[in-house]
Amino acid sequence: MGKAFPIINREVSVVEETLPESRIAAEEQLFLKAVNKTVAEINKIKEISESRTGLRDSLIFATHLMILQDPGLVNGILDKIRKDHKNARWAVHVVLGSYIDKFEKIDSPAMRDKAADLRDLYNRLLGAMDDSGPVLEDVATDDGVVLVAHEFLPSFLMTIKPGQVSALAMDTGGRTSHVAILARSLQVPVVSGLRNVAALIKPEDTIIVDGSGGMVIVNPNEDDIRRFHERQEVYERQRRELFTMRRLEPMTRDGKYITLHANIELPTEAEKVMDFGATGIGLYRSEFLFFRKDAPSEQEQCEAYKQILETVAPCPVTIRTLDAGGDKLVPGITSANEANPFMGWRSIRVCLDREEIFCEQLRALLMANMRGNLRILLPMISGLSELRRAKMLINRCREELESRGHKVAAVKVGVMIEVPAAVMLVDKLAKEADFFSIGTNDLIQFTLAVDRTNELITDMFQPHHPAVLSMIYQTVMAAHRQGIPVAVCGEMGSDPFSVLLLVGLGVDELSMTPWSVMATKKIIRSMNFEDVRETALTVLTMDDAESVNAYLKAKYAQTIKDLGISSLLGDDGEKQN
Amino acid sequence: MIVKTLTVTNKLGIHARPAGMIVDITGPAKSDVSIVFEGSKANAKSILNVMMLAIPLGSEVKFEVDGEDEAEVVQKLEKLFDDKFNEEPG
Repeated sequence: MGKAFPIINREVSVVEETLPESRIAAEEQLFLKAVNKTVAEINKIKEISESRTGLRDSLIFATHLMILQDPGLVNGILDKIRKDHKNARWAVHVVLGSYIDKFEKIDSPAMRDKAADLRDLYNRLLGAMDDSGPVLEDVATDDGVVLVAHEFLPSFLMTIKPGQVSALAMDTGGRTSHVAILARSLQVPVVSGLRNVAALIKPEDTIIVDGSGGMVIVNPNEDDIRRFHERQEVYERQRRELFTMRRLEPMTRDGKYITLHANIELPTEAEKVMDFGATGIGLYRSEFLFFRKDAPSEQEQCEAYKQILETVAPCPVTIRTLDAGGDKLVPGITSANEANPFMGWRSIRVCLDREEIFCEQLRALLMANMRGNLRILLPMISGLSELRRAKMLINRCREELESRGHKVAAVKVGVMIEVPAAVMLVDKLAKEADFFSIGTNDLIQFTLAVDRTNELITDMFQPHHPAVLSMIYQTVMAAHRQGIPVAVCGEMGSDPFSVLLLVGLGVDELSMTPWSVMATKKIIRSMNFEDVRETALTVLTMDDAESVNAYLKAKYAQTIKDLGISSLLGDDGEKQN
Repeated sequence: MIVKTLTVTNKLGIHARPAGMIVDITGPAKSDVSIVFEGSKANAKSILNVMMLAIPLGSEVKFEVDGEDEAEVVQKLEKLFDDKFNEEPG
């Protein structure tokens, strides 16, 4: 809850003025200064974002800066001031506004999205011309304000300081949008998709933003406030309770220990992972290092890997080798020019074709493994020859480093199970791998032949489909016959019903977003292994995902509700079903 | 003046980044550069104009380059299209 702080809304705040000749020069200056101020602001945001994410050359900032130098735009605005004698704010409103309208009408979704960037610039330029305009840096209340906008851009969220903002409310976006994900990692509640909140809310309105309930209350009455405080108390209490048990063992009531690890995208995240009660990192997606203009050097890679490995040592860290392609294009390596990118030249296929890139990464990994807590995970393996070739290259890199006098610690090499072919060959793979990690997103996509980026068939993407569960079960059985562990590193690891099923199917390790670890631990501590095992074996024989979900709900919905973690699961919990 | 027709072969067409890369070449050039697509002609030094053409994969675009460094500009543009704009993410 807090005072509303609307980010300028272009429909309301600009007034048209026709000025005498004597004021034209000053208006021109006002506009040009605003451009300079905005350029400086964007450069600053760029810096902050780079230091936070470790990523360089972000597309969004380069485009913003180039648009601010666009001759058509700048001259159009200056003409409006010089020839039509309009005030600078109005000139920006009309000229940039007409570009925004044009972009919104373009028959290409990618280009229509750029209208958002233009609106961002529009707000910045107007903000820069208006001393009384809302500049977030100037806001400093102890409570933290509630930011309200048509939409937020990730670049903007990067500038928010802890404690400055208590919540976000926005017209656009969904729960899985970039902004929503970023806000969750900043631990700021956000409600999105409100359609017209920015137009309805006025500055100084008091707003309650209920992130887990997905609603906003404007100028609440006493009852609303009381209910809000109650809900907030529940949330805080549940959080505190969970926090007190973060050092407890993730063990079922009948003594089955489940390893809980966290997934991270940025090396800097490694630090907080242990605070959430994880005992290692189950998945570091190394391709995030490569999302920039020039590929990182062997030395740079080594530093990044070392940072993670040393931070959590002696706990294990699973680093997945470059998983480029599919929906993750890496500059200079993969291309978007494929009809079926998810089944195309991606992941381990790229690495084995481009040995020089792969070996650079392998050497960096081996060199970074000073404490011997590294596990290398090979993605998209579809057969034995890929695994053998990758292991041969790992050995070759090791020998190369040793011949140069380096001491190289032992390393475990695991296979990511995400292609149905790997499940069909899983007994053979288990003999040659040190561990398995099941990538549920791709395994579901390939098993059910459901493109997970296709909105027409999102309801067919069913994690609890018996075919998927059977794939997981066969993988676990084969692994245990060879005495190697099985991890699940997809988001399935943070849905309560999925957790019950995965544990029942015999999965040894779950890896998930850091803030899901504590809630998952509580679920595990509440269950009986013998009971969930029976449940898992029962649902394996069912006909479809609907029956499985109905069965799980009937059997466990109450138990999960009684755990008192409802407010923490929030929309994350719902999304999975 | 040199008139050069080039074909867009990167999958996403001329979205923000390729548009930026075109303007990186045309912006600092001494020549005037226009881009013509499906009968619309735009100033190729303006990233907004280039983006607004929303040029998809497989399109032919015509560049009209006029000025002292026209040969150099055309050569750079050709290379950019041949390299499929280095296919950056986004």
